[in-house]
Amino acid sequence: MKRFLVIILTLAILMLVSIGIAQKVTLNMIQVFTSPQRTQILQNIIKEFEKLHPNVQINLISPPYETAYQKVYLMLSIKQPLDIVEVGDWSLEGVVRLGRMENLEPYIKNWSGAKELVPGLLKAVRATGGKAYIIPNGVYAKALFYRPDILAKYGITKVPQTMHELYADSVKITNPDKNQYGFDFRGTGLPTNFIDIITTSYINDIDPSNMYKLTNGKLWFKDPRAIEGLKLYLDFYKNTAPKDSINWGFDEQVNAFVSGITPFLFQDPDTTGLLNKLLKKGEYKTAPLPVGPSGKVYPSYGFGGWGIPNYSKHKELAWEFIKFFTTPKISAYFCKEYGALPVLKSVYENDPYFSTGVFEGWKEMFKNPKKYVFTSYPLANPGWTKWTKYQQDTMQQCLLGRLSIEQMTDKWYEYWKKSFGM
Amino acid sequence: MTAPFIRMMKLSNSSRQVGLKLKRFIFWMLLPTFVIVLILTYYPTVEGSILAFKDYSVFNFQNIHFVGLDNFKTIFEGPEFAIATWNTIWWIAFSVTLQLILGFALALLMRKPFKGRGLYAGIVFYPWALSGFAIGILWSWLLNGQFGLINDILIKMHILDHGINFLANPKYAFISVITVNVWYGIPFFAIMILAALQSIPTSLYESAEIDGAGSIMKFFHITVPYIKPTLVSTVLLRIIWVMNFPDIIYGMTRGGPAGTTNILATYMINIVYFESDYSKASAVGLVIISALTLYTLFYLKLTSSYEMGEL
Repeated sequence: MKRFLVIILTLAILMLVSIGIAQKVTLNMIQVFTSPQRTQILQNIIKEFEKLHPNVQINLISPPYETAYQKVYLMLSIKQPLDIVEVGDWSLEGVVRLGRMENLEPYIKNWSGAKELVPGLLKAVRATGGKAYIIPNGVYAKALFYRPDILAKYGITKVPQTMHELYADSVKITNPDKNQYGFDFRGTGLPTNFIDIITTSYINDIDPSNMYKLTNGKLWFKDPRAIEGLKLYLDFYKNTAPKDSINWGFDEQVNAFVSGITPFLFQDPDTTGLLNKLLKKGEYKTAPLPVGPSGKVYPSYGFGGWGIPNYSKHKELAWEFIKFFTTPKISAYFCKEYGALPVLKSVYENDPYFSTGVFEGWKEMFKNPKKYVFTSYPLANPGWTKWTKYQQDTMQQCLLGRLSIEQMTDKWYEYWKKSFGM
Repeated sequence: MTAPFIRMMKLSNSSRQVGLKLKRFIFWMLLPTFVIVLILTYYPTVEGSILAFKDYSVFNFQNIHFVGLDNFKTIFEGPEFAIATWNTIWWIAFSVTLQLILGFALALLMRKPFKGRGLYAGIVFYPWALSGFAIGILWSWLLNGQFGLINDILIKMHILDHGINFLANPKYAFISVITVNVWYGIPFFAIMILAALQSIPTSLYESAEIDGAGSIMKFFHITVPYIKPTLVSTVLLRIIWVMNFPDIIYGMTRGGPAGTTNILATYMINIVYFESDYSKASAVGLVIISALTLYTLFYLKLTSSYEMGEL
């Protein structure tokens, strides 16, 4: 009898365990901005979520950044098991056009957290036909990073407020014999933001909803003010940056900034995560982007976010995770560790980390929207996909002296005229 | 007379059966490899070739349709294709010629035994064991204008005042990627040629010496003719590999600056990564395959004609 009871009990336990295992749901999640540091941060957040949902297990897929979108396109195209997918703003339209992303509007309608999002963010996300397909997990915008320790050696104690001051300071400290330069130029790795920030700062009537149009609806590429702006951009390369920087992408830029070769850098907040590890506190600071002769500068909001494939079998759970990720505690943790700007208003209000220290540059820019005009790129236009590489290649030809500024802007004008159907 | 004939017939029948069984055995053994190659190589090649005639990009996953030769028109019209084609020709010509000459020289040097030859061979052949892409990245940092080790050494030795922008100047950039490719490919030629050299009977050289032949005479009349089949097959293979070898260029310059170091293979990859236009990339791929097929047919015809004494 005793043996019989033991057998029954063992079988019952085994059944319960197997039922428990069978009920555990696995969510497949893919990130695109992969780095070892970011993967660890996401794993920590996943652990927290799994603690709250013992029957859920999240399998994080982390393809290398360079090939991440190819993987996303492939997985979505052939409907591979995927429940949460990360997409950045520059690729959002392309991913949505696959027809595999869930429209999140019905979810947003019943979500109180939507009101907590930074103003304008949902509007930016809805660039894809007025519907939101992702919930942003971090915001990115360029600011001026500088090295006070290096600049002090050359007697520069005031942070440049204008593009001309930045240029003058950069020229002042440039001395190739000492391998000292001023501006951390970006020649490759899709330098669209860098080119446009300097060029458009000469123009006072850029359309905030389209970086390449004026408020009168015309393209600015043949505008004399843009030509002046591009001349300054070229002068930054010729007179304040190493010639090798025509081949510099993000890694080389950070390397040059950390080593002090180029103490002025335009970069996104996610660079702070890396710089905090590579430099001591106070060795670098941020300031608002310098304004151009127009008295303005046109940074753009970048964002990444989480979406749900429309064929996912666990949409509700995936939405639970996205909501969890967008709570103040988790959002603040992610943004602090990774270095993105938070997507929630309350995080800025309640956490001084995001309004002081290295985040001061952005705080100033957000305070003055007439001077720092956040402007959108035509991300939904089919011309956008090929534009960034085309702009990079034609700009490199110009930097090498194989194209004049006018020849280059003629090409750009024709490109966008055709893309906008003008 | 009849009995031996019947015995012979029986023997012949049984050997025919054995032959048939052997053929079946060989067929079944080869079948899995054949199926795998068919699925993993030929099917994607055919699918990729068909894609070259369709409209298939990130912005068009839903309405994929045939567009005839439009993709080819697009690539032929742009200046990038012409640049990449010329670069591919120079890339192959310089890389393979220099790899062959230097690999041959290295093999001749290593032919005679000397102390530590094994270790020396290991060190020399090491680059061949590394990933081409990793080598590209490694050299891109070594040749970096600001932080590069090579510039640093040249400046410290007072050979240079300023660092050379190896990868920023288009002329230097192309020379740099070819130089690294030559360095990477020498071991392959050296290994192949050394193995062939070791198969030449020493008696041939001894006889030639008795007849009064000098080193140059021996090289052109014994060494080269004897290892010619190895040289032919190695050069044939190497040209195909070098044409299809974007790794080093991609790791070092990604085809830049301004596309000046693009070869057809890197141009194709850039179309996939930066334009997400898969059918246009397939059109470039089809051009590469067609060029290689023509080249292989021509080369095989030439060498078989040579062997048959027609040339």
